Amino acid sequence: MNGVIVWLHGDSLSPTDPALLANPGAPAIFIFDEPFLAAAQLSFKRLFFLYECALEAIAGRNGSIRRGVVVDEVRAFAAEHQASTVHVTDSVAPRFQQYVAELQTTGLQVVIHHPPTFVSWRGEPPRRFSAFWRRVAEEALRPGSTGPELPSEEVE
Amino acid sequence: MQLRTDLQTREEQAAYLAEALAGLFEGAAQPSPIRGGRRAALRRLRAFNVQHYARTRNDVVQRGVSLLSPYIRHGVLTLAEVRDSILSRFGHTPDTEKFVNELAWRAFWQLVYAHLGDRIHQDIEPAKYRTRVPRRLLPPEVMSATTGLVCIDESLRELYTTGYMHNHARMWVAAYLQHWLGVDWREGADLFYRHLLDGDPASNSLSWQWVGSTFSHKPYIFNRQNVERFSAGTYCARCPLAHNGSCPFDDSYENLAWRLFGVSLAELEGRR
Repeated sequence: MNGVIVWLHGDSLSPTDPALLANPGAPAIFIFDEPFLAAAQLSFKRLFFLYECALEAIAGRNGSIRRGVVVDEVRAFAAEHQASTVHVTDSVAPRFQQYVAELQTTGLQVVIHHPPTFVSWRGEPPRRFSAFWRRVAEEALRPGSTGPELPSEEVE
Repeated sequence: MQLRTDLQTREEQAAYLAEALAGLFEGAAQPSPIRGGRRAALRRLRAFNVQHYARTRNDVVQRGVSLLSPYIRHGVLTLAEVRDSILSRFGHTPDTEKFVNELAWRAFWQLVYAHLGDRIHQDIEPAKYRTRVPRRLLPPEVMSATTGLVCIDESLRELYTTGYMHNHARMWVAAYLQHWLGVDWREGADLFYRHLLDGDPASNSLSWQWVGSTFSHKPYIFNRQNVERFSAGTYCARCPLAHNGSCPFDDSYENLAWRLFGVSLAELEGRR
């Protein structure tokens, strides 16, 4: 039981997800959160968009897309792959924090990865965007790289 | 329940997903014309020309906007990637700097969400002014995009059929629902969240609160002149209400402030 799995969620649903990139050979899972979606009743367009994102995110690896209770499905997937560690990318959503806490109480180790920062900010934000912008503008306008490689027009 | 990942065409995938996720969605099982996934995101990023962004971004017809929000919301592209790509390809110009400023709004909403958690779904501050219109539930004509107002109905129809609405149109619809119809912002936010491909708890709820003045200094209002200017007159030209004198937006801001909130424009804007 020393394997690793990657849990993908709707806030980081990309083949470039940091948890995926850190674990190139690891099995990965995305779950349609049944209790949440049953209550939210989103449009089909939203769910299909997520499905397309998830399909591409797991392409080329041992991946799984499921419908169910998130914590139960992650645990089951970890057991199927003899994994004791779940890698996942951070989210500010309270529901995400709750699921991480639940996974930890079941004995799984959870490793949280962080997406590249747009601006570094610590602590409480101001109440108005203008105050925020005044303090971050210089950093926000400083590129950290040349950005992702873009497809050529012939690709389409 | 394990879902299939081997279907090749969008049609097959949509038909399958509708069955696999039965009970978890509302309305017709039609995908958006906007494709999900990293490849589509990168194609969209490549296609976006930021030149004239500052001038055209608010125009719902010209649409000098990136259309990247569904990808950014779901982490398919990061804010840093988009910023880096735009600045490296177009350099530092008033257009690129305005675009990065707009990206920063999402960063701001996320920080507020990280700090407040689910409290973003309640009034963060007292409303500075509340509409005089009696509170009512979301009316059926909003759900069916048949209010008779072309600017509102076209925006809603696009939302319902594609999962997208231009940002300026979102402001019009949010202001119309809250200030003209008396709908609670949470009901409007819930409607948008159910449909927007970029629907994000923070960006959505906090933007509705920005329009309503529970997370801003004043309620956002607009008038017919604003709709005309930012739609090249196309909506009003086709709107029966614009021609028979019953357009609810056809007034000065001063008069709208009195009609909707019972105060002068100066008071509404906190200048008095």
